[in-house]
Amino acid sequence: MTTSGTGTIRRAGQATAYLLRGGVTGVTAVGALLLLVVAAALCPVLIGVPLLARAVRGGRSLAAGERRRAGLLLGEVVPRHDLESSGSSFAQLRTLTRDPAAWRDLAWLVLHAVTAAPLAVCWLALWVCAVLAPFVTMLWWAPSGAPIDFFVPIDSWSRASAVPLPVAAGSAALLIVAGPVVASAQARVCRALLAPSARDRLTARVEQLSSTRAAALDAHALELRRIERDLHDGIQAHLVAVAIKLGLAQRQRRADPDAADNLVEGAHAGVEHALTTLREVVRTIYPPILADRGLAEAVRTLAAESPVPVRASIGALARPPAAVESAAYFVVAEALTNVVKHSGATEITLSLDQGGDRLVVEVSDNGCGGADPSAGTGLAGMTDRAAALDGRMTLRSPAGGPTTVRVELPCVS
Amino acid sequence: MRVVIAEDNVLLQEGLGLLLATAGFEVVAAVDRVDEFLAAVDHHRPDIALVDIRLPPTFADEGLRAVRAARRTHPDLPVLVLSQYVERAYAAELLGDGRGGIGYLLKDRVSRVDDFLDAMRRVAAGGTAVDPLVISRLVADHRSSRLDELSPREREVLALMAEGHTNSTIATRLYVTERAVHKHVSNIFAKLDLPPDDGSHRRVSAVLAYLGR
Repeated sequence: MTTSGTGTIRRAGQATAYLLRGGVTGVTAVGALLLLVVAAALCPVLIGVPLLARAVRGGRSLAAGERRRAGLLLGEVVPRHDLESSGSSFAQLRTLTRDPAAWRDLAWLVLHAVTAAPLAVCWLALWVCAVLAPFVTMLWWAPSGAPIDFFVPIDSWSRASAVPLPVAAGSAALLIVAGPVVASAQARVCRALLAPSARDRLTARVEQLSSTRAAALDAHALELRRIERDLHDGIQAHLVAVAIKLGLAQRQRRADPDAADNLVEGAHAGVEHALTTLREVVRTIYPPILADRGLAEAVRTLAAESPVPVRASIGALARPPAAVESAAYFVVAEALTNVVKHSGATEITLSLDQGGDRLVVEVSDNGCGGADPSAGTGLAGMTDRAAALDGRMTLRSPAGGPTTVRVELPCVS
Repeated sequence: MRVVIAEDNVLLQEGLGLLLATAGFEVVAAVDRVDEFLAAVDHHRPDIALVDIRLPPTFADEGLRAVRAARRTHPDLPVLVLSQYVERAYAAELLGDGRGGIGYLLKDRVSRVDDFLDAMRRVAAGGTAVDPLVISRLVADHRSSRLDELSPREREVLALMAEGHTNSTIATRLYVTERAVHKHVSNIFAKLDLPPDDGSHRRVSAVLAYLGR
């Protein structure tokens, strides 16, 4: 048999499997639909509301499975629309009824409940015909007593060849030719109803952008407030103290030169302290080495300064946009600080690489694990930094370790 | 002693000029750009150059590159580099050739006038001046257990030595005799397994190389 022949048979088999499994989910869909109807009918009685919420969840997990199946058959990922489902059952239901995507899910459920099972039964029947009919032709004369009934009673060679053989041929032809078409039609209908429409996707994207932008602006405002505090409480306070000491020294210059000398010395020390604080503040705003030498060198410096030994592997980086560089730098700095402060690790592995249009930072340690993003501001801050640039952070930190933080940042400017 | 200053901030340029003139240095040129600096060095052949690490146009590390260029054409030119912040990567680059006559200090250090002038003279004489902040970070980050074998006093001596101070300065700073310093230095070199101390800037390179490992 030729390769294309095998392919055809394989596709027919695939289509059959898809449609038959569709039959099973179709029966489940009927169940889910019944449950929905019953729950909706019970809504005036209070028990109906949570029941309905549960039925909806069941229906949606069915839809999720169907999305995956359709995606496999069509060779693409059928994206899901994430519906808000938090709060009380009542609140969840209210959100759902306002979401057009939920109504499209419902439409799919009805359609699937009505069509999938009958379609699967037809397909099974076609297979039965295609496989059994030739046996009828061969076996009609066997001494079993009664004549075999196959659409018509088979009692002669002419009937045996005139009816079952064309039926078998026709069934096989349908299975092979129409099978893939019908299966893919079912998958396409599923995709059309279950995948978010272009409008939905756009809406979701706008919502995501608005929320990350709000987070970025919030973070920015917080950062400005912190800098303001550092400048006022740290540096300005030092300088005020210096000014006071100098003023006193001026007054005491003649009366008590030794005391004046001490005051000037104190003022000098105060200025030096203020300069040190200023340098530290500047470093937290935008590290000078990042500006001068770029990300690779700045991260190397961070690694060299870490009290826990760092094995750093830094790939070739085309100079990413400044915002990305800065985010990546602070992510590394935060991750290293976390390891030192919380993990008790003795070794850190750091990798920084640019693959295509993404910058990937990964920091792993051999510490105690169990990092919880909701516990402090550090990890949440990293997530926000990444999200503001359309990147994402993933954290793996099982209790007992090891912990790996991975941040991917898109580098398109 | 004749000095060329490369500093783009007018206030600092004037301040440095005034300070050096008061201390008996002769400022033969004060410039704010890399090309002007290289021309001034060619023209005046100064005894020492004082260079800000950040210069126009990009205010990144032009000063560092200017120093490299100047020392390619004038290998013996002593240079003291000033910076708003210190990074040991820069210290390593500046001191990496092991030639001496080089300094790397925070701008803040200028306010300790005597120390600053001492550093100027040391560098002009072919010595080394490394910012104490670089040294303290190197010592703090160093992971060798050998440093733990040093006594607290030996660690102090090590730090001052790495900054580029001579034994006599170290003695004055620590209120001990020069003989005592000499003894500490030999102990340090023995404990860290470094080649014997010859008292020159080479010992600074050796100590820095050890700390940087």
